[in-house]
Amino acid sequence: MAEVQDRTPSRRSFLKQAAAIGAGVGVAGAAGAGIYLGSINRVSRMAGQKVIIIGIDGMDPRLSQQMMNDGQLPYLAKMRAVGGFRPLGTSIPPQSPVAWANFINGAGPGSHGIFDFIHRHPEKPLTPFFSAAETVAGDGGWEVGEFQIPLDFWPFNHKPPTTELRRQGIPFWDYLDEAGVPSTFYDLPSNYPPSPSKCGHHRCICGMGTPDILGSYGTYQYFAEDNPPEPVHEGGGKRFPLRFVNDTAHVELLGPDNSLLRQPEPTRVALTIHRDTATQAAVIQIGSKRVVLKAGQWSRWVDLTFELRTPWFLPGKSVRGICRFYLQEVSPHFRLYVSPINIDPRHPAVPISEPKSFITDVAKKLGPFYTTGFQEDHKARTNRIFNDQEFLRQATIVLEERFRLLEYAIQNYDDGLLFFYFSSSDLQSHMFWWSDDEMHPSRPPEETAFYFTHIKRLYQQLDRVIGDIYDRYGSLATIIVMSDHGFANFGWQFNLNSWLRDWGYLNPVECPSILSDMMDWSRTKAYGLGINGLYLNLKGREREGIVEPGEEAEELIEALINGLLRVHWEDRPVIRNVYRASEVYRGDATALAPDLIIGYHRGFRASWATCLGDLEPDAISPNLEAWSADHCADALEVPGVFWCNRPIRSQNPALVDIAPSILALYGLPTPPTMTGRNILG
Amino acid sequence: MTSTLTTIVITLNAVANAFGQCLAPIGWLPEGLSLTLVAVVTGIATLKMFKYTSNQRAIARVRREIRANLLAIKLFKENLPVTLAAQRKLLVAALRLLGLAVVPMAVMTVPMVFLLAQLAQWYQWAPIPVGDDTVITLRLAGEIRPSRPVVKLLPHDAIEDLSGPVSIASLQQVCWNVRAHQPGYHSLQFEAEGERYEKQIAIGDGVMRVSPQRPSRDWYEALLYPWEKPFDAQSRVQAISIEYPERDSWIAGTDSWIAYWFIVSLVAGFAFRGVFGVHL
Repeated sequence: MAEVQDRTPSRRSFLKQAAAIGAGVGVAGAAGAGIYLGSINRVSRMAGQKVIIIGIDGMDPRLSQQMMNDGQLPYLAKMRAVGGFRPLGTSIPPQSPVAWANFINGAGPGSHGIFDFIHRHPEKPLTPFFSAAETVAGDGGWEVGEFQIPLDFWPFNHKPPTTELRRQGIPFWDYLDEAGVPSTFYDLPSNYPPSPSKCGHHRCICGMGTPDILGSYGTYQYFAEDNPPEPVHEGGGKRFPLRFVNDTAHVELLGPDNSLLRQPEPTRVALTIHRDTATQAAVIQIGSKRVVLKAGQWSRWVDLTFELRTPWFLPGKSVRGICRFYLQEVSPHFRLYVSPINIDPRHPAVPISEPKSFITDVAKKLGPFYTTGFQEDHKARTNRIFNDQEFLRQATIVLEERFRLLEYAIQNYDDGLLFFYFSSSDLQSHMFWWSDDEMHPSRPPEETAFYFTHIKRLYQQLDRVIGDIYDRYGSLATIIVMSDHGFANFGWQFNLNSWLRDWGYLNPVECPSILSDMMDWSRTKAYGLGINGLYLNLKGREREGIVEPGEEAEELIEALINGLLRVHWEDRPVIRNVYRASEVYRGDATALAPDLIIGYHRGFRASWATCLGDLEPDAISPNLEAWSADHCADALEVPGVFWCNRPIRSQNPALVDIAPSILALYGLPTPPTMTGRNILG
Repeated sequence: MTSTLTTIVITLNAVANAFGQCLAPIGWLPEGLSLTLVAVVTGIATLKMFKYTSNQRAIARVRREIRANLLAIKLFKENLPVTLAAQRKLLVAALRLLGLAVVPMAVMTVPMVFLLAQLAQWYQWAPIPVGDDTVITLRLAGEIRPSRPVVKLLPHDAIEDLSGPVSIASLQQVCWNVRAHQPGYHSLQFEAEGERYEKQIAIGDGVMRVSPQRPSRDWYEALLYPWEKPFDAQSRVQAISIEYPERDSWIAGTDSWIAYWFIVSLVAGFAFRGVFGVHL
């Protein structure tokens, strides 16, 4: 009887079954519908104002004008023909983080507080830090065995380590955001960590200033049989020895420090390298994945997962990164270069875009790509891991990747503001620019000419990119092409601290560095730090200041300016201008500003040593580094470029004028926070 | 013993591959939809199998006992001895219910393992997109020989050999880095010491049946990679594997598909138990 009852559905059971089937079909339907709907681009296509800005770091107006005159930049020349070309006044000093922050705020360094690549806290023992972002150490944590776990909630309120954006003031996209104008930035410099969008109309992928997974601006790892027997940590990279047994070697890639440990130590990923000398190739095994390379080949992006040790009661944690391998040589000496480990854009360990999902969405379509701020590995060239050709190849890989990203950006652009940044013109120019008949300090004339011709070809490639955008959007959008500064030879280097020492302003004379314990601050009146900054050892501001503010400081400044402007080398003046911060900076963010900003003539720049406070025997010496061109001269020596597909109203536009001009295109007034003005008619 | 087990697995693979042909629509359905449908069908099929391989009367009796004891706990919650006795009976009934599920579970394990191996070919890996690179590894048999193995990957329009063959003498392996050019299923030809060997490669987008390894004659490898015929035990080439990218999807992505399939088939099984009059 019971069985019969079971087989006869009651109304209630029928309804239950119907509901269950309905739910099943619903789940299936929802899954299917979701998949189909997800593939449709549902972004609205408003007929709004379109503004496209292509930021080309370091593009030089002199070379550009010459090439336009010679017919080598036809598309840019087309914009010049409608009155849309001017050299663009750059920042003081003309350094990229300062210049791009000027562009962002529509105002000078006094508004954004970035005065150099490097800053210092005057009240603390002298420790340089990067000006655009600063990592603040964590505070407190729950100590369990060898671990220290930060609990950032009540009642513990421990502070985990954080990285803070040091750029102050209001970026111009905030005004667009409030007005409902969408803006999208690809690789925006001086904006790491990304500033938040208040109204949700702003998207940005961080550019220059974004670290690699080690928290540095890019640290390669280089494994070679002929490396020193002990690991060597050099600026921008690490060298490790390599030993093969039966043609197999085991090494470890270093990852980020495990900050959950009381004594943080680096995480590691094991690599096994099998070489085949007969075919001059190798297999690199990373976990279950393999990379096969011939000598001279680059790998594509390779995924790396760094496992973080955690206490037994916490789930495991990991950080994901990406790198490229370059098999430089198999025999006689096996040499393997591993690029800086970039933050994986598909699984970013820290936010590198606004919103956080933006970069993930892009990477889903494009696959992994460079995310560090400095993508061309200039350090590998400077440290002689790469030769010129190898650096050029790596830079070309970067550029090809940028072109793919630009294509994505254009295809996914509807309206509002689109900004896209190219670093290639800057970092390749640093290595390959040499613009006149003067002998290159380290390169024979034919090589000098060959690589400078390459820079011209790069300009032509970028011109074609602009042409493509012009063809697609010339009549629909305002197109702006701009650079933050130009370029100049860097044949001679000036050590500001050595000069100060030689003239008795910095003591003792045998001191090797202003960061050393040998410094006698009681006999030091001024010091240099960063590329263009000179600081007085001012009483009440500096930790061990001795120079009285007021009359004494003023007299010292006068003496320093007069002395610096008289510096000559082989009958050539070294310094064109020395600017007083009080005269060139206006705003609320001047607390960390240097007192004087040194503006060098073309051909000269601050020495490598003086940037981080080191002293050398001679104040002036030849620059023999591969990095043989620069822009950290006087602002008047290295203006940037500004093209627009509509006439430019001003004869002498500057970086700070671009933001007000963009706002004006959207009918927004120039805010009081900006010092620039609208330059587009 | 191992050899017999391997033969059984290979035979069952042949049966599973024949049934696996029915999964071909997965290739042209959206992956979430196909996996949902497969899971629902699997859930219903499992339910039916459970019905015919389990003691339904005993299960119904135990479930009635469980209901009775739950009722006792509710009605006599003031009476501690009755409540405790009912809880003890509940525990025993639950264990009996578990015991009654052992036989059907054991019976279902075999087809389930083979079904999962079939499904893994669709959902565990993605095919190699056109333009992407992958690594092919060929494993040789026998002792390590002092002479270099003569192994070739014969030219094929579907792929471009970027670097290889690279020999790993210590592992008896030879690797190639190849770039995928033509979408579709292709049969790559290898030549090792005069003999020819084949391995399928899947190139394209979307969902394709992917066989990452042509296995050796080993039951475990054969179970994991059922599609291609294992190499003979005496073959100079023991296995050929291709690195396929992981599938990136919350529903039907690498490793996540199995959780989704399990949950949906479980939900389907519970939902349809009334329809098919199955006691669980």
